[in-house]
Amino acid sequence: MSSFRLYAALFFLTFCLMFPAAAPGQSLMMATTTSTDNTGLLDELAPKFKQDTGITLKWTAVGTGKALEIGRNCDVEVLMVHAPAAEKQFVNNGYGVERTQVMYNDFVIIGPDRDPAGIRGMDTKTAIKQMADEKGLFVSRGDDSGTNKKERALWDEAGVNPPARAKWYLETGQGMISTIRVAAERDGYTLTDRGTYIKYEHSQGGPVPLKILVQGDPALFNQYSAIAVNPDRCENVDYELAQKFINWITSGQIQAFIGNYKLLGKQLFTPNAGN
Amino acid sequence: MDYIAEGLVQALNLLLQGDPETFSAIWVTLRVSTASILASLILGIPPGFLLGHYSFAGKRAVRVIVDTLLSLPTVVIGLLVYTLVSRQGPLGEFGLLFTLPAICIGQTILGLPIVIALTASAVETLDQRLPALLSTLGADRKQMLLTTVWESRFSLLAAAVTAYGRIVSEVGISMMVGGNIKWYTRTITTAIALETNKGRFAFGIALGLVLLLIAFLINLVLNVLKKRTQV
Amino acid sequence: MPPLYELENIRQVYARRVVLEIDQMVVYPGEIIGLSGPNGSGKSTLLRILAMLESPVRGRIFFSGRPANPNDLQSRRQITLLSQSPYLLKRSVLGNVSYGLKLRGITGKKEKARAALSMVGLDPQEFAGRMWYELSGGEAQRVALAARLAIRPGALLLDEPTAYLDEYSAERIRSAALYAVEKWNTALVLVSHDHAWLGSVCQRILQMHRGRLQAS
Repeated sequence: MSSFRLYAALFFLTFCLMFPAAAPGQSLMMATTTSTDNTGLLDELAPKFKQDTGITLKWTAVGTGKALEIGRNCDVEVLMVHAPAAEKQFVNNGYGVERTQVMYNDFVIIGPDRDPAGIRGMDTKTAIKQMADEKGLFVSRGDDSGTNKKERALWDEAGVNPPARAKWYLETGQGMISTIRVAAERDGYTLTDRGTYIKYEHSQGGPVPLKILVQGDPALFNQYSAIAVNPDRCENVDYELAQKFINWITSGQIQAFIGNYKLLGKQLFTPNAGN
Repeated sequence: MDYIAEGLVQALNLLLQGDPETFSAIWVTLRVSTASILASLILGIPPGFLLGHYSFAGKRAVRVIVDTLLSLPTVVIGLLVYTLVSRQGPLGEFGLLFTLPAICIGQTILGLPIVIALTASAVETLDQRLPALLSTLGADRKQMLLTTVWESRFSLLAAAVTAYGRIVSEVGISMMVGGNIKWYTRTITTAIALETNKGRFAFGIALGLVLLLIAFLINLVLNVLKKRTQV
Repeated sequence: MPPLYELENIRQVYARRVVLEIDQMVVYPGEIIGLSGPNGSGKSTLLRILAMLESPVRGRIFFSGRPANPNDLQSRRQITLLSQSPYLLKRSVLGNVSYGLKLRGITGKKEKARAALSMVGLDPQEFAGRMWYELSGGEAQRVALAARLAIRPGALLLDEPTAYLDEYSAERIRSAALYAVEKWNTALVLVSHDHAWLGSVCQRILQMHRGRLQAS
């Protein structure tokens, strides 16, 4: 029966590889957005969280739409996303417990330095209309992410029908940095959160082809919030851990840390918990 | 493009200095792909052998199905496994989403049809004189079976190598059900796919180099095996 | 001495064509029988039936007094067949020659395999470690015979074993087969076009024609 024993041994080996010794201590699973992940802030926060609470923070970075879906499927404990309207809906539907503001940065409209649509310095509404009229190429995330939701809201507010299949409107279906890259290659405009733009500038290590053309408008406010997944719906989620994380990230010390997180000497986020 | 030259230099630095993030992704990849190929072989060789060795009603239909599954896209497998292991799915209670076992399930589904189809072909193309030899030297049923498997070992290894090549280089499954979680489920391919989004080209190129190295070693093995079987 | 083989009213049919029809045939231990006849006369079919590699559609065969049955491992393990281009296992010469012993769980298989190699004129020192692809045609055929001699068969069935071989290899095969008969009282059934060989060693030569035995 040596062949049988070999077979059993192989099975055992397979399982050992698949189920390695579990990481010591508790771990918290979070779904967040690519824009948060891309800034590198989470890479700084996770070890601090571990140090302060002993809890390992694990996160998967997807678009806000998918993050909410993952939360609805009870596959994570906590969400950190930036699409206020959709978040409120999520909580109202009973999928999440409470929406807690964590920090904000702002969206900016970036485009080629020569600005073919001539939108530099305009307010958001005028700039959006101008882009539709002048038919400058606009590159959209098109992935139902928080940024994408924001962008569609801007078209709506400007009274321009959300363009579908227009030649000057390009949907990438990809993350923020990929979309910025596409805009850079195609000489187009796009809407991005400032944090990702700074990160993009940083990664290019020199002058970049796309400049910030529209900024500072209150309409471009980008709020990040944390939501604990509802334990009444999802028996498996550890609500206590999620609450610990939310308390931690909104604590004075961490809020200050977020405010001091800089890239290229530029502040990425403004903490606003409790406001 | 300075990216490539710069990336290469930085890549070598990362590899030579033992950058923990780079090696974490490599280690995760090796571990999960090894588990997946083992599971594919354990589950795939017996049915592949039966499929190649015996004739039965519906055998051709089974072959067609297996051959069709060969071209199952990884994102479809990813989606399938996602719906299976999500908390709301039928296997939800085990909490497998965003873990290595989830990736392993998907990659095993990816590898299985390859192992089954190639095992069946290997057994079918075995020398016609083998059964007579085993019989005339006095093998019983079990001995015939084992020796037949052993005689096709080079073809089976080639099948394993082919399946491993597909498993180690897939990105759709790892991304969808693994979630690219740093230190835990970030594999070489998901890291390349998503981390380069953060402008980390050197990291991506370093991992690309490792993947190429793995592919090189795999093909080296395959080449040696081909030489041996041709004689 | 009781007969080794007894065949009665054997008939074999391939694709509705009768290829073998034998009313009676008896083989005794230690006997050397030659089968001769044109191609397609049923010689190989008869050997395959004697080797229990196939069963006739009709008739009775007894081996050592027991009804022949391919599932009767004990009987089957006393019979072995060597064809004109046998298959070698993908392993070393020693692995090939000792394979039958391994199947039977016989101890001391290395020594016995080496002895069998010597019987067919292959120096064990030189050949035991060679791989299956490192042999000439004549050497491969002699390794195949050694593998069959190693199990000390009660019946050794040879189907054109020297057909494509050089004279030296053919001679080694002929003498090794005779050695088995002398030493172990093995029954030898030979199919060969080599009439001189058949004539010199066989106690009986059976002529076959269209699947039937013809007295000669």
